[in-house]
Formats: sequence, C-alpha cells, structure tokens
Amino acid sequence: MFAYILNLATLICINGVLAITLNFIMGYAGIFSLAHAIFFGVGAYSAAYFALHSSASIFLAVPAAMLVAAVLSLVLALPALRVRGEYFVAASLGLQVLGVTVFSEWKSITGGLGGIIGIPPVELFGHAVTDPVQFLLLASGCLALVILITNTLLRSSFGRNLKAIRDSESAAHSFGKNVAAIKTLSVVISSALAAVAGALYAFYLGFINVESFMLDTSTLLMAMVIIGGTGTLLGPIVGAVLLMLLPSLFSYMWFLPQTEIGSIQQIAYGTAMVLLMVFRPGGIVGSGKGDRR
Amino acid sequence: MLLLQLLINGLQVGALYALIAVGFSLVFGSTRVFHFAHGSAFTIAAYVFYYVFSVAQVHWTIAILGATAAAVLFGVMLDRFVYAPIQVHEGSFFTLFVASFGTAIVVQNLIGVIFGRSFVSVTTPLSRSIEISPGLFVSPLSGIAIVVAVLFFGGLQFFLMRTHVGMGLRALSENPELVRAYGLSPRRLSTMVFALGSLLVVPAAILSAASSGLSPAIGHHVMLISLAATIVGGVGSLRGAACAGLLLGMAENLALVYFEPQWSEAVTFIVLFLFILFRPSGFFGRAIAH
Amino acid sequence: MSIFKRMFATALVTAAMSAAIVHAEDLTIGALFPMSGLNASYGDIFSSGANLARDHINADNLIGGKLSIQYEDSQALPQQGVIGMNKLVNVQKVPYVLSAFTGVSKAISTIATRTKTVAVNGGGVGPDLAELGPYFWNVIPLANFEVRAIIPYLVKERNLKRFVLVYVDDPLGQSVRKEMEATLPSAGGQLVEALSVPATSQQFGGIAARVRAANPDVVYVASYGSQELQIVKQFRDAGIKQQLVSYSAFSIPELNALPEALGAMYTTQLVDWSSNDPVTKRFVDDYKAKFNKMPTAYIANYYNAVRTFALLANQLQKKGKPVTGENLLAQRIETRTFDLVGGKVTIAENGTVVVPMQIVEIDGKGGKTVSSAAPK
Repeated sequence: MFAYILNLATLICINGVLAITLNFIMGYAGIFSLAHAIFFGVGAYSAAYFALHSSASIFLAVPAAMLVAAVLSLVLALPALRVRGEYFVAASLGLQVLGVTVFSEWKSITGGLGGIIGIPPVELFGHAVTDPVQFLLLASGCLALVILITNTLLRSSFGRNLKAIRDSESAAHSFGKNVAAIKTLSVVISSALAAVAGALYAFYLGFINVESFMLDTSTLLMAMVIIGGTGTLLGPIVGAVLLMLLPSLFSYMWFLPQTEIGSIQQIAYGTAMVLLMVFRPGGIVGSGKGDRR
Repeated sequence: MLLLQLLINGLQVGALYALIAVGFSLVFGSTRVFHFAHGSAFTIAAYVFYYVFSVAQVHWTIAILGATAAAVLFGVMLDRFVYAPIQVHEGSFFTLFVASFGTAIVVQNLIGVIFGRSFVSVTTPLSRSIEISPGLFVSPLSGIAIVVAVLFFGGLQFFLMRTHVGMGLRALSENPELVRAYGLSPRRLSTMVFALGSLLVVPAAILSAASSGLSPAIGHHVMLISLAATIVGGVGSLRGAACAGLLLGMAENLALVYFEPQWSEAVTFIVLFLFILFRPSGFFGRAIAH
Repeated sequence: MSIFKRMFATALVTAAMSAAIVHAEDLTIGALFPMSGLNASYGDIFSSGANLARDHINADNLIGGKLSIQYEDSQALPQQGVIGMNKLVNVQKVPYVLSAFTGVSKAISTIATRTKTVAVNGGGVGPDLAELGPYFWNVIPLANFEVRAIIPYLVKERNLKRFVLVYVDDPLGQSVRKEMEATLPSAGGQLVEALSVPATSQQFGGIAARVRAANPDVVYVASYGSQELQIVKQFRDAGIKQQLVSYSAFSIPELNALPEALGAMYTTQLVDWSSNDPVTKRFVDDYKAKFNKMPTAYIANYYNAVRTFALLANQLQKKGKPVTGENLLAQRIETRTFDLVGGKVTIAENGTVVVPMQIVEIDGKGGKTVSSAAPK
C-alpha cells in the first residue's frame, strides 16, 4: 500500500510540473496550447537517449533534455507570434498530431511504437536513485524548483509584461513592449521546464513509449489547469492533485465496473470542465468571474 | 492506374470531408463559437444509425431519421444549455472552447462505455466494390457519397441565398446588431445554425459507418479535418471549407502514391500548419486582423 | 525489499517445522491482459485458459493451498501494462505474472528483471520477446517461427510466389517483415511490397489500391484485434481477391465468423486435441463442457503458463523453498520438461519453446487444418 502511495505521489509531482508550465503560457500569456504533451515527450526521449548513450547523471541528462525541448519549442512559438485564439489552438493541435507521428516513426531515436526499454536509473552525485522514497524526494525537489522559478518570473516585470500581452496585445505593443520576444521566451521557458518532468518520468519508469505523449495527455493537462484555475499560482497544483487522485478514487467505488474506470475518469473531468465554464470559469482556485479576455 | 484509383478514393473521402467541414464552418463563421463538439455530433449520429439499423434491425429510413434527430437535438441542446449561458456571462473564446472540448470528451467516453471501444461497422452490400474498368474499383457507396454531398451543398446554398432565415444566418456572421434591428433574434438564429450544422454531418456519419467503420474516437479525426478545412478554406467561406475538405481528402489518398501510409494524416497537419503560418486567412477567407 | 522480508519470514517458518512438506500456503499470481479497449477479446480468451488451469490446480490441491489469479487491465498498451505490473509487484507481491502482447511484455520486462518477478508470455509473438532477460519466459512459439512455417507451404504447395505484406509498424510487424525478407528469397518467393499501417488506422481504401497495384499472389496481414478485421473486410470490399494469410492473431472467433475472411489461412501451434495424454484430454473435455466449443492454442498456452507455475511451486514446496521469482527460475532450469497440454514440453535455456505448427484455413465452421509444419 505504501508503495502504491509513493507511486501516486511521484506521478503527482511530475504532472504538477507539467500543469504549472502549461498554466504559465495558458493562464498568463494567453497561449492555449494543446501540444504540451509533445514537450513532455521530447524531454523524456532526450533524457532517455542521453542516459543510454552518455551519462545518467541528473545534472547532465536534464539540462540536455531542456535544451532539446527549448529549441523545438520555437516551432510552437512561430504560430504563436502570427495568430491567436482559435487559429493557435488549431496549430497546436496540428503540432500535437504531427509530434505523435514523428515519435512513432523515428525508430532510431524513439524506438517507434515499441518505445525505449532499459533506461538506467538517474544518478545523483554518482549515486543511482532506485529507491522509490529517494525518487519521490527528487521529484518533489524538482517540483519545488519549478514552482520557485515560475513564481519568481511571474512576480517580476516579465510576468507583468505577459499579463499585459494576454489582456491586450495591441495595447502592450503600443507601449513599446517587444511582444514577439516576450511570447517566444515564455513558450521556450514553459517547454524547457516541461522537459524536466519528461526526464523524471523516463527515469522513473525505466521505459517510455509514444502512448504517454498523445492528445489524451495534452487534454488531461489542460483539464488540470482549467479545473484548478488558470492564471493562478495554486490552481495547477490543485488541478494536478485532483485529477491524479480521480482514478484511484473511482477504483475504490466497488459499484463501478473496473474496466470502465478510464472512461469514467474522463467523463468526470469533461463534465467538470463544462460545468465550471458555465458557472465558474475561474476554476476552483480562481475568482468566480474568471479573467476577462 | 493506381493514380486514378487513388483519385477516385480521394474524391469519395473528400466529399464526406467537405460535408463535415461545411457544417463546422457554418457554425464557426456565424456564431464565432469554437464548436469542438462538432465531432461529437458526428459520432452520435453515426452510432445512433448503427444501433437502430444494425443492432435493432429496423429499416434504414427510420435509422436515418433517428440519427438526424439525435444529432440535431444534440447541437441545439448544446447551444441552449451550454453556449448560451456562457455567452450571457462573458463569452470569451477560451471559455466556450473549453466547454465544447469538455462536452466532446464526455460524449466520446459515454459512447465508449455504451458501445465498447472497438471498431463496429454497418454491413451493407453497398460497400462492395465493382470493377467498372480493369483495375478500377468503385463501390456504390462512393457514388452515393458524392451525389449526397453535391445535393446537400446545393440545398444549403439555396437555403442561404433564397430564404429569409438563410439570409438572416449570413447576416449573423457579419453583424449581429443589424440582425436585431431587422427584427430577427440572434439567439434563435444561432440555434438554427447549430441545428443546420449538426444536420450536415449526418449523411457523412452514416456513410462512414458503412464504409470504414466506427470507434468512439472517430470524433477526433472528424474535428481535425473540419478545423483544417475551415482554416485552409478560409473562415467565413462555406465554399472554401467545402473545397478544402475535398482537397484534404484527395491529398490524404494521393499521398499514398509516394509516402508510407502513416504519414497521410500528417500531410493534413503539415498543410494546416503551413497555412496558419503563412496564410491564416486561407483561400477564400476574409483577412484576419492581427 | 519487501520480497526479501517475505522470504526471510517464510524461511523462519520453514525452519521451525520438520523436514516434511511445508505447511499449506495460498498463492497468488498476476495477469496483465487487455480487459477493455480494442483488444479486449484477447483478454477474454486468455483468461478463460488461465482460469480453467486455476480451477484444475485447486481441485487437485497441487500447491497445498488455494491458487488465485489477480487480473490487471493492460488494454494491450505498454503504458497501462507498466502501471498494472507495478501494482501486482508492489501491492500484491506476486512472484509470477502472465503477460500478453509484445509491446506490453517489452515494457514490463524491465520491472520483472529489477524485481526478480517471472513474467510469462503465451500470446505475444514478437521475436524480440526472446531477449528480455532470464525472468521473461515464452510458452508460445514466436512469430519468426510462424512465418517460417507457412512460407514453404504457400510457395511450394499453393504456388503463390509474389507476396505483399501489410503490417502494423510496431516491433511485431517489423520483425515479421524482417523474417519475410530473410526467408522468402531462399524459399523461391518474392516480397514485392511491404506496406506499414499506423496502429490506430481505420481507413484502408488507399492501401488496398496500392496492394492491388503491386499485383501479388498472396497478401500477408500482420496486425491484430479490430484492425485486422477492418483490413480483411475493406480489402475484400475493395476488390482484392487474392489469398489472405496471417499468423496466429487470426485465430480469434470474430475473425473466423467474418464472411469476408472465408478462405484465409493462418498458422498456429499444432495441438493434438484428440490426444489421449491425460493433461490434454482433461483440458479439452472440461473446456468443451464449460464453453460448448473447442479450445484454441492461445487458451492452451495460458493454461500451460498457469500449470507450469503450479508444477514449479509444487516442486519448490517439496524442497521446503519459498515460492519466489528467483526460485521459480532456478527450478525451471533444473526441471526443463513439463507435462502440459499438448504433451511433454521443453522450455529451453533462454525461456522459449519450440513446438510443431499447423496451417488452418477459415471455413466459417471453426477452421480446418490444411497442413502441419515441423519446427526448425
């Protein structure tokens, strides 16, 4: 039982990082990306490849993963600069689908549909982290770090600029803000930090494959941010915890058929999304009225 | 010969895509709602038809009526009970999109729970191809698809150009205030749009059920095509959406001449992505203020 | 960690008793099958065999206590399989897990090796399943054998030389392709075209056109579940009249009932259902009595997988050793040959089996055997 809770807690940390980074661009920059799972995947594959071919040290594999994701995120930044709203959602959807196809086909790097097995455990100062308790400590450490970084950024002038752009791009532009640079930077930061979660995930499972990085995952992440509350500091964490606990909660309800737990979970958060949008767009943590856009 | 065969396949697939895309474009162009649940209307129509015709073994005319009723009811109820309340409060693009998205998730999973997640298809002799010329195979279903698409599109054009309600719909996308000034209610028109948009997916849904089979996740694919076709064709242009839908269907099939099959879905997205980057207004759309 | 604690505790108990048979202990094994999703029908099939074995073992009191099987839903997806495996190993602490599907098996093999849990595959046939470490065993002949078994028959007896392969682009499909490329030329045939399809694809009209354009004598389909049903149906709809051939994935009842599949051929293990060997006879009789139809090779495989566990556990108990993954492995290497459905089966050093194959033709009535092939 204890091991099960450890497993859940570690996954909550990893998803927490993803939700926070998605909220960074969705809630603050107004960039609604459905492609976040791709950067999660890029981080995971890069870390796995690096660990298998060079070194499993956390101080090398994670920055390598972040670098790859940061560079790749420029592809997402491009449409973010050109269009917004519905068009951007469509572009990010396209990127998500394209990314999955690339993950499935680039067999030499990603192992194709079979995935990568036998990823070595991560090394911290030469010590291989295999004990689940130690790994949880590592994961929560990373979560804390990500929270620190994003909060600092958001409270700084960079954060204020982001909010200005979100609320009115043309006004921000007329004030002399370099909208393009700020938007690009926010996408790059968000993706690089999401890659940290990816690296953790790869080391934790010892195996990754494309199934974890598909549209379903991007949807789940979006649900976490929305249900928790976009544009708030606590929202994504609340959302992550809630949505990760949902399947376990449902599996304890003996009257629900076990084989349908996955569907029931999705129905639950789909319904939550609809109801929240009608009655409380700000999410659980957000203000009742939600942010005007 | 392969080229010709793929061209014909592409035409059939493209005809269905065009129907789906026009439905979405109509809704999006008139109401500006990012109706992500459009794919759900398709899924509902298809499964209702499958259930009534294949499972309950009722005559196909009744099955068609059932599917139509279900899809239209879904679209109208969604507008009435989800979109309308949101639009009263603040109606930002994001909130409407998320509500629509949430609905799509619920529908997909409900159908998965009720009907199972594996493929089902409607068996009919119409799906069997006939060799109309050496090496060229066409099924009666393909012919029906093309004819139905043309008929529906023609009917839609007539409706929009010649009837009062139709003209009101066109006015809605340009200027809702003016519509009110003329004594028409934007709310009622909006409901009409959703009904019409959902109606347009029904033939495509039924034909897909008979030719390539269904699974609950089919709504995703439908949605992606609608989005891609609407943007490539140009928001606000139904003709553009139809042409783009047709083009995408043909591109998907013709790509098979040179590329491996797993890239054919990617082709659609590469095209979409490029358009968004370089020409967001699409072929026929109005320019996008940016 | 906890497994060692359990071993220690068990050892204490054992030491405290006399040298006679260890006191009765209920044992649980795990099973990672697709219970939902596109491949749920395989889960039903596999578990019917496993459950029958469990019932027989409990009726015979073979392990002194009660044997139960804990099922987890893998949905045939590697990701889900890993989650289920973690649960089985960490929460239920099973020493032995039944696995299915090449992708899932590969995914859980890392955990199996790390935690010294035995994982047994009776359904997946990807040849790379032979290389997943000592704790991964296969009681089903792998796909390369299946391909090798049918090619000579098709080329020589049926005179079908031009092959087109339609395969899912995953480890199984890729290995079938490799095997065909390696085996066909020397057998006198030719792989004219190999077309890969995405695992979730439903539209095969365009691919059918390409298949027709290649003008083959025979089309080999390497897919599974609902997808292979769609491929068969849509290919026939599109006017492809050539012989359709596949591996043991075609043995599911839905495909055998599909009218478009009439005449298609596939390979599966050769099991002499009418054999008088007591284990086989009991299996066939009880299965027929319970389900009113003949069993298939998949069902026999998972019956055998569970039975192997019971036989090994029984031997370990007689020696006074705890039933852990490590001990099961050691015992298997020592015993080598087991009385299973189909006769005496030998498990090789690398955890694989070699059994005779047969070629079945779909006739709408359960299939008829048209040929048998000796193993290589």
